[in-house]
Amino acid sequence: MSEAAAVEVENLTKVFRLGVMRSAFVAVRDLSLRVQPGEVYGLIGPNGSGKSTTMKVILGLLEPDQGTSRIFGSSSLRVESRREVGFLPENPYFYKHLTGRETLHFYGRLCGLRGSELREREQEMLALTRLEDAAERRVAGYSKGMLQRLGLAQALIHQPRLVVLDEPTAGVDPEGSRMIRDLILSFKERGLTVLVTSHLLEQMQEVCDRVGIMARGRMVKEGPLEELIAVENQTEMVLENATPELLAEVRVAVARHAGASIVRSGHPRTTLERLFLENTVENTAAASSEPHEE
Amino acid sequence: MRGKKLAVLLLLGFGLLKLPMERAVSARLNQAELLSPFASLELRENLDQTAFAAVLGGLRSLVASVTYMRAYIAFEDGFWAEVDRLYALTTRLQPRNVAYWDEAAWQMAFNAASHYLHDKGTREYTRGALYQQYIDRGIEILREGLRYNPDSPRLWGALGDIYARRKREPLPAAEAYLKAEADGGPAYYQRLAAYQLLQAPDRESWVKAYELLRATYDAGKKFPSVIDGLHELERRLKIPPDQRIPEKASEKKAPSVGPMAP
Amino acid sequence: MKNKAPAPQPARGGHLSRILTLAGATVTQLLRMRILVFLLVVCVLMVAFGFGFPVSSPEQKLKLLKDATFGTLQIFSLVLAVAATALLLPRDVEDRTLYTILSKPVPRVDYLLGKYLGVIFLIGAGLIILDVVLSGLVYFQQQALLQGTEAMLRSEGAPEDEILQQLAQVQRVGLTWSMHAATWAIFLKAAVVTALALLISSFASSTLFTMVSTFLVCVLGQGQELIREYLFHGSFSVTMEKVVALLLAIALPDLRLFDIVDNVIAGQSVTWGAMASITGAALLYVVGYLVVAQVVFSEKEL
Repeated sequence: MSEAAAVEVENLTKVFRLGVMRSAFVAVRDLSLRVQPGEVYGLIGPNGSGKSTTMKVILGLLEPDQGTSRIFGSSSLRVESRREVGFLPENPYFYKHLTGRETLHFYGRLCGLRGSELREREQEMLALTRLEDAAERRVAGYSKGMLQRLGLAQALIHQPRLVVLDEPTAGVDPEGSRMIRDLILSFKERGLTVLVTSHLLEQMQEVCDRVGIMARGRMVKEGPLEELIAVENQTEMVLENATPELLAEVRVAVARHAGASIVRSGHPRTTLERLFLENTVENTAAASSEPHEE
Repeated sequence: MRGKKLAVLLLLGFGLLKLPMERAVSARLNQAELLSPFASLELRENLDQTAFAAVLGGLRSLVASVTYMRAYIAFEDGFWAEVDRLYALTTRLQPRNVAYWDEAAWQMAFNAASHYLHDKGTREYTRGALYQQYIDRGIEILREGLRYNPDSPRLWGALGDIYARRKREPLPAAEAYLKAEADGGPAYYQRLAAYQLLQAPDRESWVKAYELLRATYDAGKKFPSVIDGLHELERRLKIPPDQRIPEKASEKKAPSVGPMAP
Repeated sequence: MKNKAPAPQPARGGHLSRILTLAGATVTQLLRMRILVFLLVVCVLMVAFGFGFPVSSPEQKLKLLKDATFGTLQIFSLVLAVAATALLLPRDVEDRTLYTILSKPVPRVDYLLGKYLGVIFLIGAGLIILDVVLSGLVYFQQQALLQGTEAMLRSEGAPEDEILQQLAQVQRVGLTWSMHAATWAIFLKAAVVTALALLISSFASSTLFTMVSTFLVCVLGQGQELIREYLFHGSFSVTMEKVVALLLAIALPDLRLFDIVDNVIAGQSVTWGAMASITGAALLYVVGYLVVAQVVFSEKEL
C-alpha cells in the first residue's frame, strides 16, 4: 500500500453562483483535511456547513474553485482516482426498474468486473448487506433501509480501499442503523478507510477514529476522537456490586485530597437504542448489554 | 463557466459550418422531389398555413389524409364550399400528390357544378352562373396543381376532361389530352384528343385528328369509334378512295365503348 | 466477514464496455416502463384508422394505410427520442442516481454516450419491428387492391397495355424499397432529436423543461427552411428579427431534411445519393450536438 494519504484536501474553496444574478455563495472556505489509510474519519457539522460539498469535491462530482483534493495521491479530477472509492450518497436512489441483483451487476460492470468474478461479488455483497431474499425484487419495492444497504453493497462491489458514506443511517430504523454501524466497524477491522458524515453523533462517536467539525464552510475543530472528547480533568470509574460501605469509603478517600471532588454518582443507564433493540429484535446476540455511563 | 463559453462558441462554429450543408442537401432533395414544397410559400398568401405545414413535418401526409377524409364527408353532405376549402388545405399540404388535385378539381367541375345545375331551390339564372363558376374553379385547381406537377399526365388528362365534357371547348381539351399523352400518359389520350379535334370547326384540326386516328388504326387498334371517326374525317377531308380504310373493315373484336373516361 | 484484505484494483474495463453497460441499463429501464405496450396500442389504433375508413380509390386506400403506419413510426420515434431522453438524464440528476454512477470510474462522456446509444438502440429496434409489421400490412392490402383493380379492368374489357399501366400505378404507391429508406430517414431524424434533447438536458435541471424546450426546438427545426428563406431572400437590413433568425438558423438543425416520407408515400423513389446526403447530414448534426453536450456536461456541477 502506498504511503499517500487516503484522502488529502488542501485549502479547498468552493463557491456556488446562484440565480440569474449569479450571486456568490461560499459553500466551503479554505478547508484542509487528511484521512490516513485504515482510518475512520467522521465529518460532522450542522446542515449547510459544507460537508456534502466537500465530499462531492473529493469524489470529483464538483470542481474546486481553489485548492486541491486527492485520493491515494491521485487528483479527484481524474477518473482514475475513483477506482478505489465506493460512495454511498445520502438517501440513495437506484434505477427502480432493476432488481437488487441487477443493480449490483450494473455497478459492478461499470467498475470493470465481469463474468464469474462479478457474480461472486454480487452474491457476497447481497449476503453482507442481508439482501439475499430481496435480490430478485425490483428496487422500487425496497424500504428506505434496504435502499441504504443496497447503496452500501454497490459502494463495496469493486472492493474499494476508501468508502465514502454520506449520512449512511439517515431515515433508517434502529436495527438497520445498527447494522450499518457494525458494517463500518468491520471495514475498520479489514483495514478499509472510511470517510463518513452523520447527524447521529452518538454513532459517530462509536465508530470514528478522527473527526472534523465543520461550520459555515470552515473546519472549526479536527483531531483524534479520544482527544477531542476527553474531559482532561475528570476520571470515570464504573463499579459492579459495590456495597454502600465501599461507596462510603471511596467518598472519604476522595475528601482527603484537597481539590478533588465527586461530580456525580448514580446508576448507569442503557441507551434507548439498546433498549429498543433488546425488545424488538429476537436475536439480540449482537446487542451486548454493556451499559453506558450517562 | 469556461465550458459554457466553449459550448456556445462550438455551437456557433458548428452552426456556420452546417448552414451551407443544409442548403445543399435541401436543394438536392428538392430536386429529387423528395421534399414537399411549401405550397403557399411563393404565393405568400397565408403564412399560417405554411407555418402549420412546416410544423407538421413528416406528418403532412397523414394530416392531408385526414383533411381529405373530412372533404369526402363534406362531399357526401353536399357542403360544397367546405369541400373546396378542405381540398384546398389538402392540396396545400401535399402539392406533389396529383391524386388530390385531380379529385379536388373533379369534385368542383363535376359534382358541385352538377349539383347546382339541378338544384331546385336556386333560381334558374343563378343555377347557370354557379354551374359555370364551379367548372371554372375545377380548371383553376388543375392549373395550380400543374404548377407543382407540370408533367403529370393525370392532371393534363383531367384538364382535358373538363374542357371536353363540361366546357365543351374541343381545342383546349385536345391540347390537354395531347400533353397528357406526350408526358407518358396512356395511349388512349391520343384518341381522346382526336375525337375532340374532330369536333372542332377548322380544317386544320381535322387534319391533325385524321393523322392521330390513322396512326391508331395502323397500330392495330381498330376500335369502332376509331373507324367511325376515320370514315367521318375521310369524308370531310376528301381523302382519295385508295388511301381510305376499308368500308367494312374486318375489325378486331374490340369493346364497343373504348375507355373514354380514364 | 469473509473478505480478504482489500487489494488495489487493476485498471479494467474499456470505454466501450462501460458505454454498453449504461446503454443496456437504459434499454432495460425503458422496456420495463412499458414502452412496448404503449407502442403496440398506438400501432393497433393507427392501423385500425388506416383500414377503417371508406375511401374513394384504391390508390387513396393504400395511401391512407401508409400515412397511418408511417405516422405511427414518426410519432413513436419522436416521442421516444424526446421523452426517453428527458426522462432519463434529468431524472438521474434529480434522483441522485448520477452520483453513484459518476463516483465510479466512469468518465462523463461514457455516461452521455451510454444514455444516447440506449435511447437510439430502442428507437432503432422499435422502428425495425414496426417497419416489418407495417410492410406486411401494406403488401397484403396492395395485393388485394391489385387483384381487385385487375378484375375490374378485365370485366370492362380494357386492353392489356392499359391494364398493366393501371396496375403499375397501384404498385408505384404500394410496397417499395423506398419505404424502408423513409423509415431510415425517420430513424435519422429521431437520432438528431435525441442528440438535441441530450444537449438540452445537459444544462437543464428538470424533466419538464427538457421536454418542453426540445419540442419547441423540434418545431423551430421543422421551419428552418422558412427561417433561411427569410434570412437570405429578404432585404439586407439588419433588424432584431434577422439577428434572432440567424441565431436560430445557426443553432438548430433543419429537421425538414428528413421528411422525405411524404413523397415516398406518394410513390417517389429514393436514390442512394439522397440516402447518403441525409445520412451524412444526420451524422454531422449528431456529432456536433453530442460534442457540445459533452462540453456542457463535463463541467456540470452535480
